[in-house]
Amino acid sequence: MPEVAKRSDDVPGAAPNLVHPAVVNDDAVRTALAQHMSRISGSRTEITSFGRKSSGFSWTTYAFVARSALGGDHKLILRVGPPSGLFAPYSVLPQVHALQALAGSGVPVPALVSSAQDGAEIGFPFFICEHIEGDVPAPWAASEIDPNHKRAIARQFIEILASLHRINPGATPFASQAQGADRAEQRAIAGWRASLARPTARYYPLLDWGGRWLHNNCPQPPCRTIVHGDYRIGNFIEHSGRIAAILDWELTHLGDPHEDLAWAMMPTFNARSRKLYGVLERAEVIDLYQRASGIVVSDRSLAFYEAYALYQAAAIQMCAVRAFEVDRFNDMRLAVMASQMPSIVRAFERALEAAA
Amino acid sequence: MSASFERLIDGIIDALQSHVVPNSDDDFVRGQVFSAIYALNGLKLAADWKAGPLLEQVRLQDDTFAAVRRLADGMIHPEIPTTPRVQGDTSDATAIEALRDDGDRQLGQLLLWASGEGARAANRDAATEIERLLRRAICDQLKIELATTPKSMLQQIAGGEREGGVQG
Repeated sequence: MPEVAKRSDDVPGAAPNLVHPAVVNDDAVRTALAQHMSRISGSRTEITSFGRKSSGFSWTTYAFVARSALGGDHKLILRVGPPSGLFAPYSVLPQVHALQALAGSGVPVPALVSSAQDGAEIGFPFFICEHIEGDVPAPWAASEIDPNHKRAIARQFIEILASLHRINPGATPFASQAQGADRAEQRAIAGWRASLARPTARYYPLLDWGGRWLHNNCPQPPCRTIVHGDYRIGNFIEHSGRIAAILDWELTHLGDPHEDLAWAMMPTFNARSRKLYGVLERAEVIDLYQRASGIVVSDRSLAFYEAYALYQAAAIQMCAVRAFEVDRFNDMRLAVMASQMPSIVRAFERALEAAA
Repeated sequence: MSASFERLIDGIIDALQSHVVPNSDDDFVRGQVFSAIYALNGLKLAADWKAGPLLEQVRLQDDTFAAVRRLADGMIHPEIPTTPRVQGDTSDATAIEALRDDGDRQLGQLLLWASGEGARAANRDAATEIERLLRRAICDQLKIELATTPKSMLQQIAGGEREGGVQG
């Protein structure tokens, strides 16, 4: 098994011509994966224990074991960007940049093994990373986990976020996002507004009006940091009382650190509680974050980003509806996400009232 | 029947055929699934259950348009449709849904106008009242939709769990 991550085209050998299937077929992916792993490891590799995982709504995720005579068994994770998925067309770059930039930092991430943006071999953009042992906590419902254990995890969760926001983005591949005349935060809002304005999406008057308000009232960030973009309970792996890895870096970008903090505290991701992970009071979260990051949290900015979080959640739901209805992506989980729209839009209206 | 509803039924059938049937070794379970597929196909042909809640939304929109027309008297504003838009009993869900969607767009234009600088400059008090009225009415319309929305099953859906945890 290679010790450093390889791009598919870094490795000599006979990579097949580009083939882009319309849908992700598990058997075809498995066959192509065996060829890819054999090529990059330089040894015939068999794929065993191959199975699709239910986690995540966007990238299609597989767990598998790569077995070769030279390297033995390695438990790995393959993630592929389906051509009509939630955020199609997909780019591996945010995830690849994040996993590369954060390796060895205070932010635990799985080691990157291989990646390809062009869709060669597997048929879709993909990356492979190491499998991390542990559990992914469910963010949606209350659980019977010991509250003290949850408190310890919640505190680590915030300390890791502070570590992420302390990293100087200028020394990472994200630095290139700082270019351009528009502010990065307003560019992101404009992107979601454009997504919601697509002619096939159902029109929600409060989202149209609220999107304009967000764009016109976006606060200046205290500093511009790497923002995870989906930092929440459920996007990390916990093992023996420690957070072993932060996952799902596909929405990573440069922006206002309040964005991650507001997203993490959304009741949706905390079993509908106002407390982080159902145990950590808001004031405690803010105090811990400020001390660990050195960034002063602004009440106004946090209220703005709490409204923005709901706006973004609504836009993501609409992406799901589009992927199912227009692009014919057959994942029933995306179809039922539409049913959440009325409650999200109402919550957004209330959050906007609080932020105004 | 709306395109969304038809697509939803097709998606359910595909999920059952592609993911449930191939992974079930139990003849009885497969029989149940095929029966469900048959029933869903029948539902697709016969269903016309959305007209009631949609009609309620359209009537609420009409009340809102009428109220905005009164408040905006003398101001230059985006087009407000003549109400009522539906006469008598109508059961064509697709037509009513199109009316609801058109109404949403017109409400949106009015909301953007009422909260914009032009309306504020013309009559600040009236513009503020119209904005409040529109926001409240649009939220009331969402409540009608919520009444026909099943309770969230996000945990089971996201994790593929059989039972799911305690719903908050």
